[in-house]
Amino acid sequence: MNSLIRNCIYLGKNAFRDRDFVFWTLAYPIIMAIFFNAAFSGMMNLNMDNIQIGMTSHNQIRYIFEEMDFFDIHLIDNGNYVDRLHNDEIHGYIDDDFNLIVSKSGVRQTIIKEVLEQIKQTIKLNRPISGNEFSVNYISNRNQKANSLFIIFYSLIAMVSTYGIFAGIETVSIIQANLSYVGIRMNVAPLKKINFLMAGTIVAFLLNILSNGMLLLFINFILKIELFEEYVYTLILIALGNLFGIALGVFIGSSNKKSFNVKTVMGIAITLFLSFLSGLMGPWIKAIIDKNAPIIGRINPISIITNNLYRINILGNKSSAIEGILILLLYSILLLFMSYVFLRRKSYDSL
Amino acid sequence: MIVKAKNVVKRYGEKIALDHFNMEVEEGEILGLLGPNGCGKTTAINCILSLLNFDKGEIEVFGRKMTSNSYDIKRQIGLVPQEVSVFENLTVRENIDYFCGLYIDDKNTRKKYVDEAIEFVDLKDYVKFYPKKLSGGLKRRLNIACGIAHKPKLIFLDEPTVAVDVQSRNFILEGIKKLNKEGSTIIYTTHYLEEAEMLCSRVIIMDNGKDIASGTTEELKSMITTSEKIVVSFINTGDEIIRELKKIPHVIDIDRNNDDFIIKFENGANNLTNLLNFISENNLTYTKLYSQQPSLNDVFLELTGKELRD
Repeated sequence: MNSLIRNCIYLGKNAFRDRDFVFWTLAYPIIMAIFFNAAFSGMMNLNMDNIQIGMTSHNQIRYIFEEMDFFDIHLIDNGNYVDRLHNDEIHGYIDDDFNLIVSKSGVRQTIIKEVLEQIKQTIKLNRPISGNEFSVNYISNRNQKANSLFIIFYSLIAMVSTYGIFAGIETVSIIQANLSYVGIRMNVAPLKKINFLMAGTIVAFLLNILSNGMLLLFINFILKIELFEEYVYTLILIALGNLFGIALGVFIGSSNKKSFNVKTVMGIAITLFLSFLSGLMGPWIKAIIDKNAPIIGRINPISIITNNLYRINILGNKSSAIEGILILLLYSILLLFMSYVFLRRKSYDSL
Repeated sequence: MIVKAKNVVKRYGEKIALDHFNMEVEEGEILGLLGPNGCGKTTAINCILSLLNFDKGEIEVFGRKMTSNSYDIKRQIGLVPQEVSVFENLTVRENIDYFCGLYIDDKNTRKKYVDEAIEFVDLKDYVKFYPKKLSGGLKRRLNIACGIAHKPKLIFLDEPTVAVDVQSRNFILEGIKKLNKEGSTIIYTTHYLEEAEMLCSRVIIMDNGKDIASGTTEELKSMITTSEKIVVSFINTGDEIIRELKKIPHVIDIDRNNDDFIIKFENGANNLTNLLNFISENNLTYTKLYSQQPSLNDVFLELTGKELRD
C-alpha cells in the first residue's frame, strides 16, 4: 500500500510538472470549448424574434407572415427595398410574385426561404392558407433543449474524457525498458508492474477528472451553457470515459513494439476517429450512423458517452445509461487485463 | 561466485552481439569489461540482468538463474545505466528517493540512505534542482546516486564517465573505489584503458561479442610478448639505425615516429642498460629517452590487431 501511495505521489508530481502534459490535459480542452462555442454558438443563440421582412402592403401572403411572431413586416410600397437590404434594415424582401430577394445569405434568410417555400407549396395544393393556425403551439412540453451545439459539447466532453489515453501510454512507457531510459532502471528494480500500473492509472484518472472538471466549470460558468440536468449518471459516464481512455492508452502502450511517438499518434488517431463517428465534427455524421449502422453508436465508447449524455440530459431517458456504463466498464477491465498480460514477466529481444 | 555467464550467445537478427561470452565475478572485486564501442559490453550486462533474452548459454546471479520476477535477487542489485535515466520533472532529491524507494520500504531507513547517497555524489547544493538544470557531470552523479542509494551488494556501472569533465570523472572513479571498499562488488564497463587500469582488480577484454582475455592487468600484460617499450629520440638519424638497434638483446620490434624510435623488448633483464651502451658505443646523440611498461592497449593491440580506440 505504501508503495502504491509513493508511486502515485511521484508519478503525479512528474506529470503535473510536465508543461506539455498540463497543456494538453488542462488547457487544450478549454481552448477547444472556446473554439466550438465561437464556431457554433450561432446555432443556439439565434434570436428568432427579429427576422425583418420587406414586402408591399398588397402582397397576398403578407397576412400569413404577420401571424408568425418571429417575423417583423416592413411595408415598402415605393420599391426602395434594395437600399434597405444593403443597410440591413430588412433580411429579405418578398415581391408580389412570391420571389425572395436577399443581399446576403444567412440563417435568417434561410428561414424566410423555407417558410416562403412552404407557403408556395400549400398554395399550389389549393389548400386554403387561412386554414393554418400559426398561433397554435403544437408542442405541449417545451422543456426539451434540443440543440446541435449540445451534441458537439457532449462529444467534446466525451473526447476529453478519453484523453487519459495519453497518460496511459506515458505510464506504460515508464516501465518498458525498450521505450524509455527510466524503463531500464524500473525493470532492474524489484518493482511489481501491477502496482505501478495501478498507481499510473489512479494518477491519470485523477488528473483527467481534474481536466474534465475544469472544462465543465468553464462551459457552465464562463460560456454559460447549462448542459446537464441529471448529474449522477453524467458523472458516472464521464468517470468511466476517463477509465476507458487510460485503459486504452495502457493497452496501446503495452501491446506493440512501436516507438512512444508512434503510439501517441495511434492514440490521437483512435480518439479523433471515435469522436468523429460520435458527431464531434458535425451532428450530421452521428445522424447518418444512427440511421444506417446504429450498432456503431452502441459500441463506440465515445458515442456511448455522447449519446447517453444527450439522452439523460436532453431527453430525460436513462434506459440505455446502465448498458453504456457496463459496456465502458467491461472495455476498461478487458483492456487493463490484456495489458497486464503483455507486460508481466517481460524480457526484450532488443533495447 | 556472484555472477556467472557461460557460453552466452545473443543475436540481433543476423548480427551476433555476444559470441559464446563467458564471465565470472567474485564477491568483492571490481571487474572491468573493457572493449571498444559496440563490442557487446552493454548487451552482456542486459542479458545478465535479464532485460534481454539471449539465444544460448547460462547465466547465474547470486548462484541462481535470474528472471524478470526474481525480486529477491533484484533487491541486491544496483544499476547505473549508460544513459542518464531519471525523471525530468522530479528534483534531484525526489529522483533519488523514488528509485531508492523501489528497494527500501522503511521511510526512516530510506531517508538516511538518500541523505548518504546525496553526500556520496556531492549533490547537497543541488537537491532541489531539476535534472535539466544540471550540467552533464552533475547529471551523471545523479544517475549514479539513483543506482546505488539502496546500498546494493552488486553494482553494474555501464560507462558512467562518458561525456563527463575531468573533475567529475575523477570524483566518480574515487566514489566507485569507495563503494567497493564498503563491500559492494562492481561490474564496470568502459572503453577507457586508463580507467580500467586504475580501477579494476580484474579485467575482461571484449571484442566482437567475445571475451578474448581476462585477468588482472598484470596478468593480461604478461600474456603478450612485449614486456617493455623504450622511447628514444635521436637527432638526424636515418632508418639504417633501425637495423643496428635490432641487434640489441631482446628487441622484438621498432616503430619510428619522426625522430622518436619506439623499441619493443620481450621479457629480459637490463634492456635500458643495453640500449644506453648501444648509444654510447655508436656515439649517438639523443634528446629524450624513457621506458614504458606495456599498457592494456598493447594487450588489446596484440590480441586483436587493432587499437582499442580505433
